[in-house]
Amino acid sequence: MDNLFIAASASSPEVDFRFDERTLSLKGESYPENAAQFWGEIIATLRRFLDEGGDAGITVNVALAYFNSSSTKMLFSLFDALNEKAESGAEVVLNWYHDEDDDTIFEFGQELQEDFSALVFNDHAVQS
Amino acid sequence: MSGIQQQWAEFHSYVERRDVIFYYVGYFSQTIIAAMADAVKLRAEHTGAVGQTRRKLFSSFIEMAQNIVHYSSDLHAKEGQATEPSMRRGAVFISLTDGVYYLHCANPVDGEMAGKLRPKLEHLRSLTIDEIKAEYKEMLRAETPPDSKGAGLGFLTVARDASAPLDFEFSAPDADGASTFYLRATI
Repeated sequence: MDNLFIAASASSPEVDFRFDERTLSLKGESYPENAAQFWGEIIATLRRFLDEGGDAGITVNVALAYFNSSSTKMLFSLFDALNEKAESGAEVVLNWYHDEDDDTIFEFGQELQEDFSALVFNDHAVQS
Repeated sequence: MSGIQQQWAEFHSYVERRDVIFYYVGYFSQTIIAAMADAVKLRAEHTGAVGQTRRKLFSSFIEMAQNIVHYSSDLHAKEGQATEPSMRRGAVFISLTDGVYYLHCANPVDGEMAGKLRPKLEHLRSLTIDEIKAEYKEMLRAETPPDSKGAGLGFLTVARDASAPLDFEFSAPDADGASTFYLRATI
């Protein structure tokens, strides 16, 4: 299926889902006006890719410097979809990047790790 | 001093006396919020806030501003038609007193909204920070409430980032039950 690329805007992140390379990246800030719509479409595309089958590994790189409350909820569903894929046998590696002193994003990563234990979670604290 | 300079001097001295570092009143749209978000980031940086405070200020600012866009009862209209994308009226200001940031917002609400907000915020005020975090975790995993345009996490997010319970008030309602909702977060 076609790769998904959405350029960053003032209030939405860059989405670079290279399905052909099985590498999915998110980078930037997320506080779109309608997070359910913005992320809903991305999650729907991701689910189609995940449903296509294939147990080859997937690498997910997330470097979001900020996400608002409604984006947080949608990100939770996105990782839920990836976790289901991991439970069905594919190795899914989640590289979680955050500023070294950003406790909020670090803690959200810990939440993800707790709930979605099938993901191979790598925490990356980045020096600001 | 000329008349113009005099006006500025009076205005600045008032702003300084009230420790105001940012103020906006008018209609809020997503584009306006994004532009203000940049300005708030710069202001926080220039006033010397450390990284974690800057992030909390920014996060609370976005939640408050998006609440105004979603829930203020004053929807911008031209010739009886709501403008697209939608804009709603409200106000935000940030003050800095003795190293503590206060984030204030205000917007008009109808009686029904006031009736929903009051118990929600009273409940939040009764929680300790650990209880706020626990409720946040629970809400993150729960179904989104049907009356929410976000995720039902907005006030919890502000409460989590604040260093004191959220303060709120409603002005005396008019004949239709409409009032002004005021919220203040201490960061």
